Amino acid sequence: MFDPIDIAITLGKILLVFMVIMTMAAYLVLAERKLLGYIQDRIGPNRVGPFGIWQPLADAIKLFTKEDFKPAGADKWLFYLAPAMAAIPAIMIFAVIPFGAPLTLFGRQVTMQVSDLNVGLLLFVAFSSIAVYGVALGGWASNSKYALLGSIRGLAQLISYEISMGLSLVPVVMLARSFQLSEIVGAQEGCWFIVYQPLAFIIFMISILAECKRVPFDIPEAEGEIVAGYHTEYSGMRFSLFFVGEYINIVVLGGLAATFFLGGWHGPFLPPVLWFFIKVLAVAFLFIWIRGTLPRMRYDQLMMFCWKVLTPLALLNILATAWFILLKG
Amino acid sequence: MSLQKGFMPKLIIDNIAVEVAEGVTVLEAAQSVGIHIPHFCWHPALGKAGACRVCAVKMVDGPVKGIQMSCMLPAQDGMVVSTTDQEAMAMRRQVIEWLMINHPHDCPVCDEGGECQLQDYTIAGGHGLRSYTGKKRTHINQYLGPHIEHEMNRCIQCYRCVRFYQEFAGGTDFGVMGSAGRIYYGRVEGGQLESPFSGNLVDICPTGVFTDKTARFRARYWDYDMAPSVCPHCSLGCNTVPAARYRELLKIVARRNDAVNGWFICDKGRFTNSVVNDPARPRYPLVDGRKVGWDEALDNLLLRIREFGAVHGPESLAIVGSSRLAMEAATLLYRLFAGIAAGSLCYFTLEEEADQARAAITHLNDATSASMGDVQEADLIALVDCDLLQDGPMMALAVRQAWRKGAKIFLVENDVAPEAQKGLPFEWQSVSLLSDIPIREARKPVIICGRGKGMQDVAPALTSGVKLAYLLGGPNAFGAALLSAGHGATTLAQAVASGKVKGILAVEVDIPPELLQGISFIAALDWRATAIVKAAHIVLPTTAWVEMDGTYINNEGRAQRFKKVMHPGLPIMGLDPAGHPPRRHETAPPGGEPRPAWQVVADIIERTGTERDVQPLSGQWQWLRHLDAESPGQRIWQNMKQVK
Amino acid sequence: MSVINDTKAIVIGMWTTWKHIFRRPVTLQYPEEKRIPYPRYRARIVLTRDPDGGERCVACYLCSAACPVDCISMQSAATEEGRRYALWFRINFSRCIFCGLCAEACPTMAIQMTPDFEICNRDIMNLVYEKEDLLIDGCGKSPEYNFYHHAGIGVTQRRGAGLEEKPPVDVRSLMP
Ligand code: SF4
Ligand code: SF4
Ligand code: SF4
Ligand code: SF4
Repeated sequence: MFDPIDIAITLGKILLVFMVIMTMAAYLVLAERKLLGYIQDRIGPNRVGPFGIWQPLADAIKLFTKEDFKPAGADKWLFYLAPAMAAIPAIMIFAVIPFGAPLTLFGRQVTMQVSDLNVGLLLFVAFSSIAVYGVALGGWASNSKYALLGSIRGLAQLISYEISMGLSLVPVVMLARSFQLSEIVGAQEGCWFIVYQPLAFIIFMISILAECKRVPFDIPEAEGEIVAGYHTEYSGMRFSLFFVGEYINIVVLGGLAATFFLGGWHGPFLPPVLWFFIKVLAVAFLFIWIRGTLPRMRYDQLMMFCWKVLTPLALLNILATAWFILLKG
Repeated sequence: MSLQKGFMPKLIIDNIAVEVAEGVTVLEAAQSVGIHIPHFCWHPALGKAGACRVCAVKMVDGPVKGIQMSCMLPAQDGMVVSTTDQEAMAMRRQVIEWLMINHPHDCPVCDEGGECQLQDYTIAGGHGLRSYTGKKRTHINQYLGPHIEHEMNRCIQCYRCVRFYQEFAGGTDFGVMGSAGRIYYGRVEGGQLESPFSGNLVDICPTGVFTDKTARFRARYWDYDMAPSVCPHCSLGCNTVPAARYRELLKIVARRNDAVNGWFICDKGRFTNSVVNDPARPRYPLVDGRKVGWDEALDNLLLRIREFGAVHGPESLAIVGSSRLAMEAATLLYRLFAGIAAGSLCYFTLEEEADQARAAITHLNDATSASMGDVQEADLIALVDCDLLQDGPMMALAVRQAWRKGAKIFLVENDVAPEAQKGLPFEWQSVSLLSDIPIREARKPVIICGRGKGMQDVAPALTSGVKLAYLLGGPNAFGAALLSAGHGATTLAQAVASGKVKGILAVEVDIPPELLQGISFIAALDWRATAIVKAAHIVLPTTAWVEMDGTYINNEGRAQRFKKVMHPGLPIMGLDPAGHPPRRHETAPPGGEPRPAWQVVADIIERTGTERDVQPLSGQWQWLRHLDAESPGQRIWQNMKQVK
Repeated sequence: MSVINDTKAIVIGMWTTWKHIFRRPVTLQYPEEKRIPYPRYRARIVLTRDPDGGERCVACYLCSAACPVDCISMQSAATEEGRRYALWFRINFSRCIFCGLCAEACPTMAIQMTPDFEICNRDIMNLVYEKEDLLIDGCGKSPEYNFYHHAGIGVTQRRGAGLEEKPPVDVRSLMP
């Protein structure tokens, strides 16, 4: 039943995916700093290696060698657990994302996906809910007012936008008639869902922007208001888990956006894996570009936008899609 | 407008209704409701002169109308006054500009800067640019002695200085001369000012003409360490504000207390700072001349006392306080005395001083004790054995104020040296006996008893209505006498005469060398480098009065609190040979070891093991703990039922 | 409609930042390339001298009073001729925020800011400048100003011989 080769291949894929995601996340940090620099007519990091390409390495060394600090009165175990809760679910989600067309190696069908679950989409929704705990526990366990404020904001924001995000995915499922991500990708072979579902795509993009707490929805960390929000009290590696977790999130959510709306790895001329990366990077670029442009929203605007605009729109969109499918038969 | 007695004119100032006593000026009426009208020449102690013209107000309605000088105008019924009227403000602004016509451009090098009335009003009036194009008149300054610096160019002709010096203080060697634009305030020839109150020129001049030469170019007002304090140089307890900077006592100015010193202090109180700053002051605990830490010194002291007790018996040790020891330490002395079972407890060294202080606490009570405020109001004053200018100069100034108002002054002939009466700022009649003075005819008679040897007993002269004032030996002589009586203490002279004293623990006391013969052990607590400190085997440095909080009870039985002004320590000036402060980080200032005497005494008591956590001012003295330094003080009789 | 307006605003914003991505950065690579600050740049503080070579500072304490971080301390004193000067004068540059309020407060133009901003140091005590480190041999800005010529109390000239002054009056004169 368990073919050792299958297990080896799966482990290999896990390792590969993990390495790629970590590297991408690290270089996304550099890319963001560079790009923000250019947007602001600066150069950005340029001292470590040519064009600063070793900057992520230098950052890592710095973060690893910093003091691991725990505030007095913090809840020790939760304080240590929270950063992991923030980063790990994000990586796990990648397990269900197909990042290339299935290959045939030595007569074996190898899917470019760690695990092709039939409820992949639900798994994604579930794991992104778990990520909320990182924010909540980090802020609560720190025993600091800013951290607590940040985590309260984060909780409200993440839970709210999860709803609009989930609702925006319902039409996708309806169109693909499956929760399995490989089938959703397969359903887009002819035409990307973005064409059928532009509104759902926009709602989804806005929601995932809020889900990864990025500008203009960065109120849980809002520097200048509440220092650094829920991770105010963290330093060194634990801080970097939060920090890198955010960029892993970008990669993962970029991958999901590609999977759900942008045709997954489908694309002409270029190899499928490359297409997938291009789409992920495009989404990441969009995120960074938005960060370089928009100011932070206010808390009340943020909540209002979610509950009074995005959620009703997503519901309407579901109704419209259902109607459309009914009509088409 | 009515002139009958008791009539209270009602007027309106800046829309506030004011009711004042007859004869009060508009300026004072305004002050009584918190409206400050600028003024230079008017002074609460000197009255009006109408010289500066800066107190202009607009009389909107009433018996007089138009722009008027508020310091010259008595308040009258129905007046409506505006201090903020455009016309009045313009007038005041112009006056300031006129006053500045000849004023030099030298605030940065003027010691008055920062505490200068002229500067304040010039800024308040908004005068910033000179529109007068003429040249400034200048003067040649005079040397006025080692205490006061003269810079006549800064004068604005307000006449305050002459009015104080001549009228208030009775000085004759300083005045105003010249005419027109040449008006000059000074002496006929340069030379030291003779009045023992000349230092008040520094306080009273609203500009920088007279500044304190002893603090010349040392610091600015905003940098001073200041706190309300009491003068320790005689028993009158004048209120002062010492100003210190960089651990150096720079100057002392008067603090108003109408019951005691009024607005002024004497030159002795003002210019005796150098003892506090003396680098040779006892700064470190010493055991046989060796610098040691506090713990070692105190342990050593206890050890020596025990050794001494083993050899001579503990009863041959005398604990000696003095009339300059603050109440805090003085009240602890008895507990120390009991704790180490010493033989004698003395609050006074010499019999004479003790006798006189004893007379004061016996004869004075709340009704008979005359404050200096009472002296100023007296209509007959008898001076018995007084050397006023030596033992209480401000009392002489108070007597002068009474004399100016027409009081008769009698001087009882005695064996106080006649030269002591030279320079008294009033006229008197000599009589040979106290009973020759027509005390019974006076309404408010006051007898002032000095420290002379032949002090007569004033008891026979005491009838109802006669008030008494004593000039005592030190700032806390009254308190020392109370404690001495309460604890049945003797004087050191007596104790030594009885022959049993072999060792002395001297707490802030000066002991004449003849009393030290045959003494085999001396420990001294003091902040002055006295002879006994030099002779002591163990020296424990204490803080000067400006370096601690404390209480003195002055000659009239008024307890007054003084506050810590500065930290003890060697002055920064001269600490480092490079001229600037040391470039080192230290947690404690060098020479900062001295501790308040009460604390040292408390430490010794704690080490004897008889008591722990010793606090000063307990028992019947508890009320002194809550004394407010900003208040005019409290007489003991109001707080202690039975003074023991 | 506000949706359209808002969308337009976002798009314009995004377009603006997009264009900036391709602009030339204004960055100067500091230790290799140096910018020459303007003469009125506010950096390291000096004490200047008057045109006659005397120390301008009269130790009036105004700069130390004006300083918001209390990094100036001094002790004033007088020379034999009665000229007020700073016996010592200390600026702690590790505290100074280079706000320039001291220079603005100075009535004698003594304390002035220079464009020399490169005073970093590894030992903080080296940033505590004494008077001899601060005093320069020149007038800096306002080269013609000499406070004592205007002060009106003599010191550098006979009394009454300064600018805008009459000679001392004769008090004993009876002329009207
Ligand atoms: S007297 Fe006052 S106004 Fe005149 S120079 Fe001195 S501080 Fe300035
Ligand atoms: S010397 Fe001072 S107090 Fe005397 S008149 Fe001039 S300004 Fe007034
Ligand atoms: S520049 Fe500002 S902070 Fe620096 S010394 Fe001057 S006043 Fe103080
Ligand atoms: S303000 Fe000018 S003159 Fe005054 S102390 Fe400072 S540097 Fe010297």
